Amino acid sequence: MPRYAFVLAGGLGSRLCLLSERRAKPAVPFGGKYRIIDFTLSNCVNSGIFDVGVLTQYRPYSLNVHIGTGRPWDLDRSRGGVHVLQPSLGSVQSDWYQGTADAIYQNLIHLRRRRIDEVLVLSGDHVYKMDYNVLYAFHKASGASVTVAVTEVPEESISSFGILETDRQGRVTGFKEKPKRADSRLASMGVYLFDRLALVRWLVEDAETPGSGHDFGKDILPRLVARGEHVFAYHFNGYWQDVGTLDSYYQTNLEFLGDHPPLELGDPDWVIHTQSADRPPVRVEHGAHVSRSFVANGCRVSGRVEHSMLFPGVTVASDAVVRDSILMHDVRVGRGAVVDHAVVDKEVRVGDGAVVGEGDASIPNRACPDHLSSGLLVIGKCAQLPANLVVGRNARIGAYVTERDFAGDVPPGGVIDGPQSMH
Amino acid sequence: MVALVLAGGGGEALSVLTTERAVSAVPFGGKYRVIDFVLSNCSHSEIAEIGVLTQHAPASLHDHIGAGRPWGFDHRSGGVQLMQPYLTRSESEWYLGTAHAIARNWDRVEALGASRVLVVSGDQVYRMDYRRMLMMHERRRATVTLAVTRVPPQESGRFGMVRFGADGRVTELQEKPRQTRAAHASMGVYLFETAALRELMQERPADMVVDVLVPLLEAGESVHAHEFVGYWEDVGTVASYYRANLELVAPTPRLELHNPRWPVLTRDEERPPVNLREGADVEDSLLANGCRVAGRVRRSVIFPGTVVEPGAEVSDSIVFQDGVIGRGAVVSRSILDKHTIVGERAVVGWGDPPGDPAHAWLDGLTLIGKDAHIPEGARIGRGVVVGLNASFDGHGGEVPAGTTLPTRVWYEGIA
Repeated sequence: MPRYAFVLAGGLGSRLCLLSERRAKPAVPFGGKYRIIDFTLSNCVNSGIFDVGVLTQYRPYSLNVHIGTGRPWDLDRSRGGVHVLQPSLGSVQSDWYQGTADAIYQNLIHLRRRRIDEVLVLSGDHVYKMDYNVLYAFHKASGASVTVAVTEVPEESISSFGILETDRQGRVTGFKEKPKRADSRLASMGVYLFDRLALVRWLVEDAETPGSGHDFGKDILPRLVARGEHVFAYHFNGYWQDVGTLDSYYQTNLEFLGDHPPLELGDPDWVIHTQSADRPPVRVEHGAHVSRSFVANGCRVSGRVEHSMLFPGVTVASDAVVRDSILMHDVRVGRGAVVDHAVVDKEVRVGDGAVVGEGDASIPNRACPDHLSSGLLVIGKCAQLPANLVVGRNARIGAYVTERDFAGDVPPGGVIDGPQSMH
Repeated sequence: MVALVLAGGGGEALSVLTTERAVSAVPFGGKYRVIDFVLSNCSHSEIAEIGVLTQHAPASLHDHIGAGRPWGFDHRSGGVQLMQPYLTRSESEWYLGTAHAIARNWDRVEALGASRVLVVSGDQVYRMDYRRMLMMHERRRATVTLAVTRVPPQESGRFGMVRFGADGRVTELQEKPRQTRAAHASMGVYLFETAALRELMQERPADMVVDVLVPLLEAGESVHAHEFVGYWEDVGTVASYYRANLELVAPTPRLELHNPRWPVLTRDEERPPVNLREGADVEDSLLANGCRVAGRVRRSVIFPGTVVEPGAEVSDSIVFQDGVIGRGAVVSRSILDKHTIVGERAVVGWGDPPGDPAHAWLDGLTLIGKDAHIPEGARIGRGVVVGLNASFDGHGGEVPAGTTLPTRVWYEGIA
């Protein structure tokens, strides 16, 4: 039976601060060598779905490069495979995607000739391993027109999710988008399985509804539930994480370093595929000390690395210390430098003797106090930090900042903006 | 220019490492196979058509090369072809030697329609741009050009030694001489004019040097040497193989694996990053993705997916992929092939090496073949060779120096 999945990958991910300033959230590096979207794409191919449309909109370049022809996922096929669907002109109602539902609506052409009974709609923003075959089986057995995968979330975080209420058969009886209070703790995972014809009907209807935000969670699902359509919830018990904020991004990554990682990344029966460059094995040199850390191929470590995640190609020079940090591809930490409690984007250079992550953690970031106040600091892509610079906690150093952009040390909560700032 | 890669060698000298694989398919450098260096050279030298001649235990090589994707050889036409011995109505011989392997496939070489044929060995580790050799070859209007490199005098007995004049013209070619005035070894990299090779191939030659190069030289053909300066290693013996790997973890290795302009391409498995656990203590080592280390590792090369449990110690060793070094186990000066499990508190490389000359080739190393399961607390002496899937029954947990345990087929005990 042919199957087809749309992956929504156009989101801004604005709470991820600098990490998604220049790339879509699904393209944000994760887990020491992956990108967030790898989990969803790998779920597709591991579930036997080899026909996937990835809907992009915001800063799609890095996602395009990452997905390429789809080789790592065996999605480079003569039929099907992966297609990146960027908004385009030409069809009758063409414009930027107004919401998740509108994004699919504008791509209905892809459903015209496919011989499929259902359409899987996924989000590229989430970290989880899920066999969609089980969802398909549930959908068939329950006689649903649409099945929403749900997972239990803690009471205090229900206001971040779409919360569903169900009866004992799993039929959805209530749907509230980001409620303050609810009787249920079942959150929508942004994983929907639609009957193809029902989806088409509902999308056309939604497009013609004045005032609609054209969003699955906000508009379509509440409407369907309210009028008694066959909406069912499939209860997923495994790990699922929406790495929405910089803090949760940081914590979720570091959870993988613990004794009980949330997901087994090395499962040969459920490989998480990604685009990897050809890099030599990790080189741990004389005098190095590395523990409680992930270190990917191409890294070279002479210094001390503790409780950190080093993406491919990172070098840590002798006498340098990297602690409780995430260093993305090809970051270079100079001799005697210290990086503590930092998320450092790709290709950043930390000069010799620099100290990154120092002093008072209680002063929130000047520019984004909401997202940078836990003591974590963030450094944007390709920034160059001069030797012996001191950077305080909760600081934000923009992408492509050069040594000349620093007038002196950066105080806690300080901001150094790059050539094209995010504001 | 087409390239023919000679990868059929069984490499007796590599013992259990080549029981089930060709020398070219032996793992090297923490994530590569020996042949990756030559295939990467071909790829970076923009050679579009490659034949790989296989004979001995080719399964792992075929598996590794496949359609040639990692090297960009998966073209619509051309690309990489695997040339295994085959039957015809008139011929049923295995490849009798390097030249014979090419002669038996000459039809297919001709079909590629190239005016020059590059013949290279798949058993050597080096980075070389074959286009520079081609340039010299053309400039000198040579019939054949051989790549040569300087080797220390004490090593000349291992190689074909070449003398050549200031114009590059070869004057003398000696195969593995005891004594020689020649300072350059032939690297096993030959560039032929197709026409010259065609004639010799009709004679059904066996050996590339004896039956092809020497006759060409004696016939007064234009045989030239192209000097190569740089890292070049023949890893055909246990000692040279071990040394070449361990050199990679020296403070300034002669061979730099990291080279973004000339990366070594290989068929990579998707594995998570190296996971260094609490208590890990690693120095002077290479570790590939998929490894998980909680013990101590010194001066070692560890391939993908190997686990070093807490309290285990690995030093001066090479551990191929998906090994497990159990808690408190000690591995020193050993080579462990794929899927070796070292039981808790076992010692691999224990006591003194055997003193007799019959074990000199092992250089005091302990060799463990694929799929061995070393029992808990066992002590495996130095100079021991453990066959594939070998049984340790009847050894009372102690295998003395110099012992050889025979290989068992994997389905023994099942069928």
